[in-house]
Amino acid sequence: MDIFIVWVEIFRHWLTVATGIPILAEIIVKAALTLGVIIFVLLNLIVLVWLERKLSAFFQMRRGPNRLGPAGFFQFPVDIVKMLGKEDIVPANADRPVFLIASICAFLTAIMAWAVIPLGRGLILEDLSIGIFYFIAIGSTGTIAFIMAGFSSNNKYALLGGMRAAAQMISYEIPMVFSLLGVIMITGSLTLSKIVEGQKSIWFIIPQILAFLCYFISSIAETNRGPFDMTEGEQELVGGYFLEYSGIRYALFMVAEYTHLVAVSAIAALVFLGGWNAPFGLTFIPGFIWMMLKIYFMIFLFMWVRWTFPRIRIDHLMHFGWKVLIPVSLINIVLTGIGIFVFRAITG
Amino acid sequence: MIRTEEMKLNFGPHHPSTHGVYRAVFTLEGEYITHCVNHLGYLHRGIEKLAESKTYNQFIPYNGRLDYVSGMMNEAAYVQAVEELMGISDQIPERAQYIRVIMSELQRIASHLVFYASMALDMAGSTPWFYGFRDRDRILDLFEMAAGNRMMPNYMRIGGVAADLNEEFLPTLRKLLDDMPKCIEEYNGILTGNEIFQARTIGVAPLSGEKALNYGMSGPSARASGIDYDLRRDEPYGIYDRFKFNVPVTQNGDTFDRYLVRLLEIEESVRILEQAYRDLSEGPVMAKVPKVIKPPAGEIFYRIEHSKGHFGFHIVSDGSNKPYRLRIYSPCFVNVAPFEEMAVGLHMQDAIATFASLDIILGEIDR
Amino acid sequence: MYGSGLLKGLSITIKHFFEKKITQQYPEERPALPKRFRGSFELIPSKCIVCSLCSNACPNNIISIQSKKDENNKKKLTGYQMMMGSCLYCGFCVEVCPTGALYITQKYENAVFFRQNLNVSLFKDEPEQMLQAVRSEAE
Repeated sequence: MDIFIVWVEIFRHWLTVATGIPILAEIIVKAALTLGVIIFVLLNLIVLVWLERKLSAFFQMRRGPNRLGPAGFFQFPVDIVKMLGKEDIVPANADRPVFLIASICAFLTAIMAWAVIPLGRGLILEDLSIGIFYFIAIGSTGTIAFIMAGFSSNNKYALLGGMRAAAQMISYEIPMVFSLLGVIMITGSLTLSKIVEGQKSIWFIIPQILAFLCYFISSIAETNRGPFDMTEGEQELVGGYFLEYSGIRYALFMVAEYTHLVAVSAIAALVFLGGWNAPFGLTFIPGFIWMMLKIYFMIFLFMWVRWTFPRIRIDHLMHFGWKVLIPVSLINIVLTGIGIFVFRAITG
Repeated sequence: MIRTEEMKLNFGPHHPSTHGVYRAVFTLEGEYITHCVNHLGYLHRGIEKLAESKTYNQFIPYNGRLDYVSGMMNEAAYVQAVEELMGISDQIPERAQYIRVIMSELQRIASHLVFYASMALDMAGSTPWFYGFRDRDRILDLFEMAAGNRMMPNYMRIGGVAADLNEEFLPTLRKLLDDMPKCIEEYNGILTGNEIFQARTIGVAPLSGEKALNYGMSGPSARASGIDYDLRRDEPYGIYDRFKFNVPVTQNGDTFDRYLVRLLEIEESVRILEQAYRDLSEGPVMAKVPKVIKPPAGEIFYRIEHSKGHFGFHIVSDGSNKPYRLRIYSPCFVNVAPFEEMAVGLHMQDAIATFASLDIILGEIDR
Repeated sequence: MYGSGLLKGLSITIKHFFEKKITQQYPEERPALPKRFRGSFELIPSKCIVCSLCSNACPNNIISIQSKKDENNKKKLTGYQMMMGSCLYCGFCVEVCPTGALYITQKYENAVFFRQNLNVSLFKDEPEQMLQAVRSEAE
């Protein structure tokens, strides 16, 4: 998809010439690109909501939505229209300002992670030298939005959901980081594009299968999806932290959840599945397509797990996180270190 | 000044996993329950009082409204109670008896499938829910075929059953029985063997056999605690003494055992159905009973092994065509009582799984 | 092995993923309901002998029958109403009908927009009543 980059360069050049101020041109180009990424994420969202409905239906031997558009594809846009028409209810004794900004915070933190995620060679907003670090840091700030929502709703169920979110997301942040460390050790870089370049010969899922499993499990918990959807906990907490939200504010939470899901899948595809590198030498298919295929493969895995397993209990989740995932990911780091040492000793 | 206090949480009556309109008030320490109070009566419709203004026959359709996932069994209990009261229980034709057994056992499977499905759903396993309801629907189709309605069948009559089985009933039943072992295997595969499910249920909220007896529990919930008592085997009613079947009993009395007992009971019900299918003979399905049912003055308490426990009718007759008093002994009402005690010390998530494992139908508790 | 149960569950769901779906697409596909299904009631007025057995058998007394005596002192049906809002669909009325005038049909789409529409009139001797109204007006 080099054509994108060529277009952007032409656009930038034209702007520089037209305005005569290179900084202004740079700002305009960046703004346009940011808008493009947001639109890309939101487009993904339409597909994702449709996909979740369809996949859950297929696992349960149903058909799923099939009335609106081809195979019910336009169900979600219509749902958004419905959401926009709903009354924006703020509970009587809610902490009003916190309640109102919580949903926006959740959405913003989810979308900010996309600044460093490349979708192809050069298809990236800002190729930060600390790309993975930035992604993890932004991802963990999402917790604050959930706590804000749970705390400000003045609802006991929402409060419990918010508390669960805090406990769960903080304890699963650590194994997620540790599982990514192995790859960083091999490539010696935090930059996502460098990590992908490092997988030209072999995908990191093969030497780092333990890390991949750890990452997969902890990212389910990180995105609050089943079987770790304790914070939502429909059966015991009714709706969890966004119980009191209605209309478009509720939709923003859903958007944040799915955006986070795509981001996590994209990181998995970049770090473990070789990013835009084509497997088996199938290079005639563009890297962008490969990237999307890998992201959606990860999303399918997430959904498959979600629609098969019952929900785990919160204390089991904490035990699993601290007593299983962290030791396993630490062992993986040690093994990777030994592996690198042996590799260097052999190759000199 | 920072202080902590316990949180009172209203669980229900409109909550996704209260199986209707049950309400509990939890006192929570963090997410652990320190105190629990049951509140019942949100679905009270006064069915016992209604019965006093209906003739004996007219009350039959109301049985489907008691425990609305096992309507056939409620009806069977009621009509057998009235027959016993009239003293005609030995005149019921052979075929009618067999049909009653077939319907009762099908209903038991259907009811346990609802249990399986709703328990899975209470643990956020919505896919097992669909698998359970898929097979329950085939049973309901059978009821629709024979009786006319799916959940409120109104099929049993005092003296027999409303109508003979239609010709497509038995082949459809045969097909269902053939498919059942595979389905049970699937239920076990997706939920029973699941490690997450086991971690959430094994050892949770154990109830000793002694306590179960003291609470007066019966049925699968009691058998999970090691109470080896089944009316079908120990006090056979109808023609249950002709069938060979095991009564599954487990010893731990925890949530997993209460779940497992019911799944095992599905297998035993399939065994009974196989025998009933084999032995079903031709003949009339209705005994000669008077048009207006007037049992002699007197009273009777008659109970059967219902899908939830011992389900009984206490009918007092004054010799007229309407019961003087009709009391329904409800197993669910008894089985929900220990929840107050079992919930203490549990995590809220476990409390919901435990509540689901008791298999409560609110229509029967509140009547 | 720990985790084998999880994998088994995954294999079961993926098997159903590719299976034929069992949803019945309702407005297009109609269920083939068995003959005994009690959906709604219909009446053949010419067969009705106004014996009132149906209204007596009904647990909720939802059936009201109007009749008049004709020249041979035989009862003749002039109106038959059912308050379907209170109906249990138990089918006792059909069961007791000696002539088969009242029968069940498999029509199950009984929803109405207003409560009073639930009071269904299965038969109404309209011309007769209009005649009566005309007569009473003339008098």
